[in-house]
Amino acid sequence: MGKIEAKNIIKYFQHDGKPLKAIGGVNLTVDDGEFVCIVGPSGCGKSTFLRILAGLEKPDDGEVLLDGKKLVNTGPDRIMVFQEGALFPWLTVEDNVEYGLKVAGIPENERHDISKRYLDMMQLSQFANSYTYQLSTGMKQRVAIARALVMDPDVLLMDEPFAALDSQTRDLLLVEMQMIWQKTKKTIIFVTHNVPEAAVLGSRVAVFSHRPSVVKKSLDIDYKRPRVAEDENLGKFEKEILAALRHQGPK
Amino acid sequence: MKANLLGKKIAFYVLIIIVWQGIDSAEIWPDNIFPSPIEVGEDLLYGISDGSLFYGIATSMWRLVIGLSIAIGGGMLLGIFMARVETVNQTIGSLVLGLQSIPSVAWVPLAILWFGLSDSGIIFVTAIGAIFAVTINTYTGVKNIDPSFIEAARNMGAKGGQLITTILIPAAFPYMISGFKQGWAFAWRGVIGAELLFSFLGLGFLLNVGRQLNDVSQVIAMMLVIMGIGILIDGFVFKKLEDKVMTKWGLR
Repeated sequence: MGKIEAKNIIKYFQHDGKPLKAIGGVNLTVDDGEFVCIVGPSGCGKSTFLRILAGLEKPDDGEVLLDGKKLVNTGPDRIMVFQEGALFPWLTVEDNVEYGLKVAGIPENERHDISKRYLDMMQLSQFANSYTYQLSTGMKQRVAIARALVMDPDVLLMDEPFAALDSQTRDLLLVEMQMIWQKTKKTIIFVTHNVPEAAVLGSRVAVFSHRPSVVKKSLDIDYKRPRVAEDENLGKFEKEILAALRHQGPK
Repeated sequence: MKANLLGKKIAFYVLIIIVWQGIDSAEIWPDNIFPSPIEVGEDLLYGISDGSLFYGIATSMWRLVIGLSIAIGGGMLLGIFMARVETVNQTIGSLVLGLQSIPSVAWVPLAILWFGLSDSGIIFVTAIGAIFAVTINTYTGVKNIDPSFIEAARNMGAKGGQLITTILIPAAFPYMISGFKQGWAFAWRGVIGAELLFSFLGLGFLLNVGRQLNDVSQVIAMMLVIMGIGILIDGFVFKKLEDKVMTKWGLR
């Protein structure tokens, strides 16, 4: 299961020695198996919000529940895919993917079986023994996704993972990401500043306001999958998201 | 290119020996002050044939290995704690910087008082001369780890000792290698310096014996051996290790 509830999350940043309210009471419930994209103006604290869900940062107020249980720390039930991948350069692709399993004390042959499955899924098998510096940015993000999936988390948290990719690679991964979601039925929360990306991926898009941010609009994207970025029928959803983003000057 | 470089080096050293022999043949200074390369070579051969040279090398190397191991183990531990615990850095950190400025031979009197004329005393000097270089480089390395590595590992369930062995050490390893290299150089100076002053076996001792016997060619022969071992360990142990790590980490 992977129903995540964020209740009245408040977070301050330190700005020139003064506290600055970045997140001003975000309420967001994501049902088990939902694919929710979070978009918002830059600096609205959407990445920080994701880090709070991951337990990597503590909110100044409010709480996060996973299937009704209050979360206090980070844990393998919610795995984060970082913007730059955060792959370990001293490990091979395979060892990167197996890292969490090894930490959990899973025996080697079992680890291999699991990692092999996800390396296949992400079309990385032939790179199993490569080091990460030998990979393209797109390949690195595939490894990062495989490393997260291997943990079989309830919730997958993705922080602008495709921001650094060229557009062809991104289009490919957008399609793959939908297939992964349909295959694994994971709850996915995906932060992006790219509106078409949100419309392609999300079964719902949550639009954050400028800081102190709140969820300004929650928009269901009821449209067949797999979707592709150039599908014109997604345009009306994109317009709605953009309108929600625009109806707010900086405060 | 590589053969060319080797050729240059060989030519350079051959030239030195020729100039050296030339100065000796000019007989500006007496032989007991300025020996010829042949005399130094004979001294080396004599040391090899009676085994004293190998025994000296083995003794010094054994002390070096123990001392450096202590320095590497202790320095890594201290450096990691300094980098991860702010209070440790604010307190012990300042002391480390101060202690690092003490040349290792300056520890010799204390080592003699504490340990007597023993192996332990020399090993103490070797270790303490090297430990702070390892500490400071480890500290810098751990401080420079991409925070997302640590977050990703914690997120996947790593904590405590696991985090140290699977993330902090490998991620900081390229810096630690510099620490090991510096540490080794300090340790080698430390062990030879301590042996000179302790006068208790080893290459430093043989060097001192040369002085006591007024045997200039033995003094120079021992200095050459000390330098040779330095070049070998630098080139074959640390350079290889560094190349391997840098390549694997994708840093070159």
